[in-house]
Amino acid sequence: MANTACFIIVSRNDIPIYEAEVGSAMKKEEAAQQHQFILHAALDIVEDLAWTTSAMFLKAVDKFNDLVVSVYVTAGHTRFMLLHDSRNEDGIKSFFQEVQELYIKILLNPLYLPGSRITSSHFDTKVRALARKYL
Amino acid sequence: MEPDVSFETGSMIRIAVLPVGGSIPHARLRSYVEMLGRHTRIDLSSISSFYSEHQKSPFTHQPWETGSLRFKFMLGGAPPSAWEDFQSCRKILAVIGLCHCPASPDLDLVADQFATASKAYTSALAKRCFAFFPTDSQLEEGDNKRENILLFPPSDQKTQEFHMLTMMQDLAASLLMEFEKWVLRAESAGTILKTPLDSQSSLGSEEFIKAKKRRLARAQKTIGDYCMLAGSPIDANAHYSTAIELARLTGDIFWHAGAMEGSVCALLVDRMDHKDPLLEEEVKYRYYNVIQLYRRSYLQDNAQRVSTVSFELEAALKLARYLCRRELAKEVVDLLMSAADGAKSLIDASDRLILYVEIARLFGTLGYQRKAAFFSRQVAQLYLQQDNACAAMSAMQVLTMTSNAYHVQSRRNSQKMCPSSQDLGASHGDGGKMHPLSIVSLFESQWSTIQMVVLREILMSSVRAGDPLAAWSAAARLLRSFYPLITPAGQSGLASSLANSAERLPSGTRCADPALPFIRLHSFPLHPSQTDIIKRNPQKKEWWTGSAPSGPFIYTPFSKGNISDCNKQELTWIVGEPVQVLVELANPCSFDLMVESIYLSVHSGNFDAFPVSVSLPPNTSKVILLSGIPTKVGAVSIPGCIVHCFGVITEHLFRDVDNLLLGASQGLVLSDPFRCCGSTKPKNMSAPNISVVPPLPLLVSHVVGGNGSTILYEGEIRDIWTSLTNAGTVPIEQAHIALSGKNQDSVISIAHDVLLSSLPLKPGGEVTIPVTVKAWQLSLTDSEFDASKSSSGSARRISKEGSSPLLVIYYAGPWTSPDESNGSGNSVPPGRRLVVPLNVCVLQGLRFVRARLLSMEFPARVSEALPKQIYGENGITEELKSVNQNDSLVKIDPYRGSWGLRLLELELSNPTDVVFEVNVSMQLDSQQSEHGVANFSNEDIDFGYRKTRIDRDYSARVLIPMEHFKLPVLDASFFSKDAQVNNLLGNKFSSTAERNAKAELNASINNLISKIKVRWHSGRNSSGELNIKDATQAALQASIMDILLPDPLTFGFRLGENGTASENIVSPEESSISDNPPGQPGSRNVARAKGSVLAHEMTRMEVIIRNNTKERIKMSLNVSCRDVAGENCIEGNKATVLWAGTLSDISLEAPPLQDITHSFALYFLVPGDYTLLAAAVINDATDVLRARAKSDSSDEPIFCRGSPFHVHVVGTA
Repeated sequence: MANTACFIIVSRNDIPIYEAEVGSAMKKEEAAQQHQFILHAALDIVEDLAWTTSAMFLKAVDKFNDLVVSVYVTAGHTRFMLLHDSRNEDGIKSFFQEVQELYIKILLNPLYLPGSRITSSHFDTKVRALARKYL
Repeated sequence: MEPDVSFETGSMIRIAVLPVGGSIPHARLRSYVEMLGRHTRIDLSSISSFYSEHQKSPFTHQPWETGSLRFKFMLGGAPPSAWEDFQSCRKILAVIGLCHCPASPDLDLVADQFATASKAYTSALAKRCFAFFPTDSQLEEGDNKRENILLFPPSDQKTQEFHMLTMMQDLAASLLMEFEKWVLRAESAGTILKTPLDSQSSLGSEEFIKAKKRRLARAQKTIGDYCMLAGSPIDANAHYSTAIELARLTGDIFWHAGAMEGSVCALLVDRMDHKDPLLEEEVKYRYYNVIQLYRRSYLQDNAQRVSTVSFELEAALKLARYLCRRELAKEVVDLLMSAADGAKSLIDASDRLILYVEIARLFGTLGYQRKAAFFSRQVAQLYLQQDNACAAMSAMQVLTMTSNAYHVQSRRNSQKMCPSSQDLGASHGDGGKMHPLSIVSLFESQWSTIQMVVLREILMSSVRAGDPLAAWSAAARLLRSFYPLITPAGQSGLASSLANSAERLPSGTRCADPALPFIRLHSFPLHPSQTDIIKRNPQKKEWWTGSAPSGPFIYTPFSKGNISDCNKQELTWIVGEPVQVLVELANPCSFDLMVESIYLSVHSGNFDAFPVSVSLPPNTSKVILLSGIPTKVGAVSIPGCIVHCFGVITEHLFRDVDNLLLGASQGLVLSDPFRCCGSTKPKNMSAPNISVVPPLPLLVSHVVGGNGSTILYEGEIRDIWTSLTNAGTVPIEQAHIALSGKNQDSVISIAHDVLLSSLPLKPGGEVTIPVTVKAWQLSLTDSEFDASKSSSGSARRISKEGSSPLLVIYYAGPWTSPDESNGSGNSVPPGRRLVVPLNVCVLQGLRFVRARLLSMEFPARVSEALPKQIYGENGITEELKSVNQNDSLVKIDPYRGSWGLRLLELELSNPTDVVFEVNVSMQLDSQQSEHGVANFSNEDIDFGYRKTRIDRDYSARVLIPMEHFKLPVLDASFFSKDAQVNNLLGNKFSSTAERNAKAELNASINNLISKIKVRWHSGRNSSGELNIKDATQAALQASIMDILLPDPLTFGFRLGENGTASENIVSPEESSISDNPPGQPGSRNVARAKGSVLAHEMTRMEVIIRNNTKERIKMSLNVSCRDVAGENCIEGNKATVLWAGTLSDISLEAPPLQDITHSFALYFLVPGDYTLLAAAVINDATDVLRARAKSDSSDEPIFCRGSPFHVHVVGTA
């Protein structure tokens, strides 16, 4: 499992709709904030990069110091962003794919307004389990 | 590292600009520097006049036509760099002093100062001191003495600028000549060029030889640098090429890289104007080489002392800046990211600062706002690590720049920048509903965590930098947007930092960013005067009708239904009349919020708002009333409130909160501030269109004698005086009073004429209008029990509130307002409506228990005159009059008798605690008075009954004789209606006739009842009328026919004329005349006992039969006489009465409405009391008669019986 990992889902309106610190390192508030800053900044690059490829998994698109940002863009332009320090690209890809399945289930909920925050605790538990499994 | 590096940096001549002499005023210095700053580029063509070629120029390819020299002004100078030899452009090549003469009178001193200051710049090749605005004396002495001080003669701006241009051209020319000198000297003599990389310590022989070899290459590179500075890229390129070759040979990597960089520079400056992909490829290729070379020159052993990383990074930045275009974004990003990685190896913190600044700038240029913001924040953090106010100020400014990317910008900036979001908000306000997706877009980029961090950093840096307004604004934004994420302690901390910042601000400071509380529009409570504005219809005389729903219904189906208009409420405000708006405030935080003042914010400038002060405890919301006065005609829009809270004045817009609530309802925002304060669900309140109209008249009413309600007993009649005052500034020219509300019939009269006669009512004018009210009857639903009275046993009932009638007064000013312009002439100023409740509290008064119809009969006495016929056509008035005149106590004359007399008995009780006196009166028909005596007009008749006094808690009965209501004629017309009531005939009538008949019957009953008035008095001034209609009607319903209808035949006996057997028909009129006045011929009977008959004497008698129908009636008449025992004493064995004439089966025919008389004589043998009875069987009875007799079958004989007459026979047996 990765030391540091921050997973975030950004809606097509650039709102973070799900955030999770899934790293095994001690959680410090400042670090978490820094992670969000890095992920937020990476959106600019993702914006450009997403249209240059047909692949959903954009691999590592950005880095700051030793932290790498990997991004997965769904068809609805929802972005799964993972900030990590490990180099396990395959694991990250699998993680993203499985999270997308979970996300689709959320989307299928008629009571969920696309673009609003994901508050399902089930989703949260599943994502954390996936993170433990793949990262 | 140096800021702002680019390819052109290498061709820029650095000039230190130093202010000298006395301190220059800030604005002055700025204008001088600005004037200087315009001359960063001096064309070579323009300096040729100042240039003189001393020797042959080394810049053989100098482009005199197209080339130029570039200046870079270093305000305040710069410390010498260690790398000056490596890159000549780092040298300060000239010094310019700026002197403001009025501030420094002694020019000598200035010259000395400048000389000292410029001495520090050893590399400077030219020095000038510009002195502005010299005095006359300074001009005189300055001209001949000092060459290095250039006096700018005082003149206008343009001349000075021209002067400055000339000076700069001169400076450029002299610099160019110096460069030539320097290059010539360097080529010939050669100079030792060193960088910090070259170790001084280990300068062994081997090193020395190496250094000697390298010297040539370095000299060539430096000459190339000077060529660049001199604006001759082709020359520079030649020298750089040589230098590259030499450096490669000698393995001088660092200088190799430098020369290569220079050559790219020269190439680009040479081909400045045309950019082609080939050139770009070339530049890229060479530059990646340069970066590689710099990287290779990185020596591990002296990394601690000097590092070439900064050159590598600068090169990367230069290339990135060159490539910085959207199409090449990926390449630039790679360059910048690797540059950012290099930050770790930079030793100097300020180098890192510069690097991040440059990266942020380049990302910004690329359009990567978020990336730029990220690096800007890194810069700010580096600034914050330095512990001084200047750095904090820089940090604050840098962070403020990032606030846009993080969407936490101050409203002051955002208002100009994103009008689209405002439009979005406005459209929401209009439409009321919004597509969910567009709601989402309202809350784009809500990265709450990082937004909070940024705001907190702005707050921290602005506190450190000593900018209280920025600190206040940041704290306000933080608190307002993110209070749910902040702990109570943190919230209090923010509140105190708001208060601390406000302490340092001058009072009355405004800030664009609102803090707390949250304010939303609650409602526009309609001031009573506003509801009453009524459109005038100039076409109608009754201008108030049809303009407003006048009924009790809010919605009238007749009003023009326009769905789109329904959403938008229309409000009309009047100049000079205060208005009110309800707003709801919420304080979702955990500290007490004190709003020093809050008032409506109106930008249209025609509204005076009144501030109020509110205190909001933690986690509460409050609805408060804000008021103001419109001052000018026009439209008013209320976008929000101005709030003075935490020492700063801010404007809170309703729209923002509306959007916030919308987001909260969709789960997009953290929390709804109103719901968490326990407030109810937001109402969908859209701001109405408010228009202000010119002043209108304003009526104010008050009831004379206090505004409390008037207490009346049921049925009491009282005048209520209402005083109306025009409190407006416009006279009232039209007015009308109408009634509405419950119990409208209780208002008997309104003095319309009083109001009309007082028009026009001037401002301040007053008019008092009497309204006569008769207190209505309390019903069970309408009343409530008075609890205070319950102690005394039975609770009494009083009327409920709101059951009083309302006076509605419509009034309006002149048709055209005085200050109205002709342009809008066709609009009529509206009228108004004043609703004055007639505050009447009705108490239960005299209580009517029941009504009964009693019948009485006692026989009349036979006398010479016919007894008064109770159904007489014209006798009633006479009778009444006589009763009135003679003996009011005796209601019925016992001598006359009364058969079928009916009395209405009213039982009344008095549950109140006052005494009532009851008085019965009757109103007679005009029809009767026509036939009656002329002097008797249609008015109430006091029967002379004593007033009945009813004490408290007692009951009393009042008798009302009903004999005066008989109709004179038995008519078929009546029967058609009477039949159904009794429903005895069983005849089938058509339903229409039936209904008509019923209505007529009811009308006649009502008519009858309305004639009976029961008045009461209580105390000194309470009087009223008892409402007995319903009860009386019930009592009379059954026997109405008997009361109203006469018998078809009536019989009367009278003594015949003495001695004269007059068979004449005596008209009742004659008889009555002869009867009444005592002095008339009939008075001869007076001697005899009234109506007495003597025994043993033939007594002439007459029976008078009157036909009350309109048909001729044939009958057979029988007269019988009975004694006291009831035995027939004419026939039979023991007949005690002898008779003459016929007494039985007398066939008679009575003409319609006429009397017939039948005479006979009786001889009484025994004195005593006898009863005479007449009866007739009607032959060939008509339907009418049958109906009256209530007979079912048509062959039944109709038998008519008269009332008995008493005969008192006196005498001796």
